[in-house]
Amino acid sequence: MRIAQYIVDFAFLLDNSLRYQRIKRFFRNLLENDDYPYKRYFDYFMIFLILSSVVIIIEEVKTPIAKWLYFYDVYFVTAVFIIEYLLRLWVYNDVHKIIITEYEESLFLEREFDIKKVCKEILKKKLEYIFSPLALIDLLAILPSYREFRILRIFVLFRVFKLLRYSQNITHFFQVLAAKKLELSTLLVLVAFTILVSGISIYVFEERTNPNITTLYDAFYWALVTISTVGYGDIAPTTHEGRAITMIIILVGVGLISFSTSIIVSAFSEKLTEIRENRIIHSARKLESYYIICGFTNMARLLAKRLKREGVDFLIIDYDIEAVNKALSLGYLAICEDATQSEAFKQINFNNVKAVMVLTNSDMHNIYICLNVRSFSKECFIISRAVDYNSHKKLKLAGANYIISPYVTAGFFAAKVINEPIAIEAINDILIARKNALCEQVEVIRGSFLDGIKIKDVNFDKFKLILLGIVRINADAPTEELRRKFYFNPDEQEELRVGDILIVMGYSISIAHFKSQVVESSLHYDKKI
Amino acid sequence: MIKKYKILQFGFGRYGEQIARNLALEGHQVFIADSSKEALKSASKEGFEDLFVVDLENDAQLTDLVLDYGFDYIFCAYDDEEKNIYLTITFKALFRNLKIIAICESKETERKLKLAGAHYVIDTMVAAANRLYYILEKPAVAEAIDKILFKDRSIIFEEIEIPKNSFLDGVNLKDTAFSKKYRVIVIGLVDKELGNKFIFVTRGINHKIDAGDILVVIGKKEDVYRFKKLLGVVV
Repeated sequence: MRIAQYIVDFAFLLDNSLRYQRIKRFFRNLLENDDYPYKRYFDYFMIFLILSSVVIIIEEVKTPIAKWLYFYDVYFVTAVFIIEYLLRLWVYNDVHKIIITEYEESLFLEREFDIKKVCKEILKKKLEYIFSPLALIDLLAILPSYREFRILRIFVLFRVFKLLRYSQNITHFFQVLAAKKLELSTLLVLVAFTILVSGISIYVFEERTNPNITTLYDAFYWALVTISTVGYGDIAPTTHEGRAITMIIILVGVGLISFSTSIIVSAFSEKLTEIRENRIIHSARKLESYYIICGFTNMARLLAKRLKREGVDFLIIDYDIEAVNKALSLGYLAICEDATQSEAFKQINFNNVKAVMVLTNSDMHNIYICLNVRSFSKECFIISRAVDYNSHKKLKLAGANYIISPYVTAGFFAAKVINEPIAIEAINDILIARKNALCEQVEVIRGSFLDGIKIKDVNFDKFKLILLGIVRINADAPTEELRRKFYFNPDEQEELRVGDILIVMGYSISIAHFKSQVVESSLHYDKKI
Repeated sequence: MIKKYKILQFGFGRYGEQIARNLALEGHQVFIADSSKEALKSASKEGFEDLFVVDLENDAQLTDLVLDYGFDYIFCAYDDEEKNIYLTITFKALFRNLKIIAICESKETERKLKLAGAHYVIDTMVAAANRLYYILEKPAVAEAIDKILFKDRSIIFEEIEIPKNSFLDGVNLKDTAFSKKYRVIVIGLVDKELGNKFIFVTRGINHKIDAGDILVVIGKKEDVYRFKKLLGVVV
């Protein structure tokens, strides 16, 4: 009873200890989380250990090795492997959680805390890990260090298998084969059956006449060599009956080989898109912040081009494989998924997504996608394209933060183009950033030379810029839309405040220069303080 | 002030509706032609009165229409890009000098329309996609552009041709503080001496303004009007 109490207390202590949790999380990330940035270095380190130890063992076959290499292999590598094995065993699950659950359950049901049951549960979980294939490989990979048993050296192979853990490519290969388990096992049974039948028959026919076939083992060996069309020729049939069997199993062998090849090839072609998508999602997840574009339509294409040019990362989702291929050929990250289905976003971490753009040509799809994205993330900024004017309201309800309609913009430009073709062209140049003319926002940073001075004292001419206006943030405003207010061509006497955003127009070099000046001057301010 | 034109607009779909509305807001006289009666019905609901049912393949009818009314511009605003190309070619074949404006949704069609002889082609997607970019990456700029272009009708932009002997004729661009004196922002000009290309003032080259040059200015409606009055463009 006493011991049980101690165990429960200890479990609660662990559960409450932030430090313990943090350490455990760190090791879990390091060992299991593919998205964890440092895992890669750990993997490289382990791969190096494995390869070096394999090389040492191979070298040892012929020549005696240096003493330090022997120590390195036997003690260091093995020690690392053992530590890794124990850590994996540790992070596989939380023992203290099992104890706590059982304890709480026992309190709830008002029965005695059953320490035996808990132990059984813990043991079961840990054994589950120990007997998982990768863990078995890990364990066997530790064994070759006991060089006294020469046979154990064969386990060096398991060190090579251990590479599986650290390389995604090899894992993918096995995943592909695993997907065709049924076909492959059928094939195996077929091969086994054929070998059995032909092996027994050749044994029956030739055991007495053929000096090469003396045991059933010889017969099976001959059958496999023949059926695989390898045909060493060390054992050859001498009787008519034996030759007849040979002819039959050669024919069967050709069939079996083509069968197995086709299974593996088809498995790969089926899985290839999936693997490619996994890779793309994987590389998207590595990005710290990116946009998602749903629907690779004409508008999306133009946006993607612009984003690419500005060096902004984005991921394209489209359900049409051709559109995806087109995007991929342009060098964009793209996956083929139906964005209206929740599957499409399951693997995406919305904390890193800056905004989702929904740009398909159908309002119905757009609404579905908006709802779908909202179900994953409440905060994510969604911009949707509206085809029909009536859909604006529906899209807002579906969770879109901003709605863009090419029809409205087109209408405006169309009307102006008749009287002001040059001006429209100029505005277009700015919008598209053709001819290097840009419109840019520059924030007034605390302590920069802009902070607190009057507009007339900022020499925009010297910077070769035009001030179009300022955007002032009014934090007290009730709605988001009112919070930002744009003042066009403000009065010269107006004083700039921290947080104001200047809207300036000019060439990219001038703007970059101006921005760097602002930032630089604010740095001096920081130093002074 | 701004010239008013007689415009024949083909198509009253999603684009057509917006375009016609904006054209009417600018004060132009808009005539709408469409082959579908449904579209025209919605046009009449929007308040457009001059409506024609046309058969796009009937050249005689189209010729009569243009001859009867004497339109200044033809606007091809069908949602369907192919119809716009077809119309452009038809009108170019019928009237060589008629000014045609067409909309399109892709670079490919833009090229075709230009080949067909359209005077001006508007790629609707380019404008929308680039606006989207600003909304994402530079929200304050997006806000400002929105305000200047769409939301605030009191801010306008205009191109002004410099008349002979006005006070700007022969003056250096840099020597005039447009923003301080006239409360208008000059974003660029077409300097006739340097060819017909639009040049942004921020390029840093000091231009001598001559009669015939075109200034592109942005400003409050009344400021722009006052500026034009001073120049003698309007009386």
